[in-house]
Amino acid sequence: MSLELRLAVVVAIVAGAALLGVVWRVTSGRSRRIRDGKQVDLAELGVLKNGKPVDEFGSRLTFLQFSSEFCSQCVQTARILGELESQSDDVLHIEVDITNRVDLANKYQVLQTPTTLILDRRGVVKSRIGGAPKTSTLETEIGSFEI
Amino acid sequence: MATQQIDPRGPRFGAAITATLLAVSVFLLLDNSTFSLGAGVFTFVTLSFAFGAAFGVSAHPYGLIFKKFVRPSLAAPKELEDATPPRFAQAVGLFVALIGWVLQLSGVEFGFAIAAGAAFVAAFLNAAFNYCLGCQIFLGLKRLKVIR
Repeated sequence: MSLELRLAVVVAIVAGAALLGVVWRVTSGRSRRIRDGKQVDLAELGVLKNGKPVDEFGSRLTFLQFSSEFCSQCVQTARILGELESQSDDVLHIEVDITNRVDLANKYQVLQTPTTLILDRRGVVKSRIGGAPKTSTLETEIGSFEI
Repeated sequence: MATQQIDPRGPRFGAAITATLLAVSVFLLLDNSTFSLGAGVFTFVTLSFAFGAAFGVSAHPYGLIFKKFVRPSLAAPKELEDATPPRFAQAVGLFVALIGWVLQLSGVEFGFAIAAGAAFVAAFLNAAFNYCLGCQIFLGLKRLKVIR
């Protein structure tokens, strides 16, 4: 194969990967509105917080974060959402490890982790963020639930 | 499993080396005159994935180079990360490399080069964009029952 062609192949692969990376960066972490979202069943999630089962939603909104094993961005996301929770009384952050809960992954159609659902005070899914949430997205989301 | 905490920039440093080697190997594998050299580089990368998958990225030579020569000149990391996600990525890399071996040995032209190209994309995304393979595909594989 000629030198030019070989170089062209390598450059094309690098350019393709870079393009993929930019698209991923831009699209990941943004929120998507969910129309006619359903109410989340807290008992089914079986989530514990400080050793006690969570049975109430946040009075303004709830961040429901789905995480898995082998997910480094889940840890960062949990830290950021946890900080937002500690800054106000009406925001709740719950994290569910769905590594061994394929039923939940199927039910909520989770393909990547972290995936964060944003629930209103009745626990109805209002929007959804795939990937590590962008800070601006989170601010907008919290703002949109202003009471 | 013990959850060892590591500097998240370590695996990205290793991914940058891996991506460079894979790009070089693709270039070399495409021509008959340099094929054996390219196959040598690809073999090296395959072994490197195998080591990372078996012993984890912090025991990996790239991790040791990072710890000894790179990290001292960097500021402390904002946060540490778990060592298991990068190890999962190494296992996926090994799997892709082995597909290359199967293709090449069964007579498919450019079998190594195809696998090297695919593995390059993942390593490059990891190094340049902090793309986390474990976050993206683990659950999908699990839902498809590819992994138990």
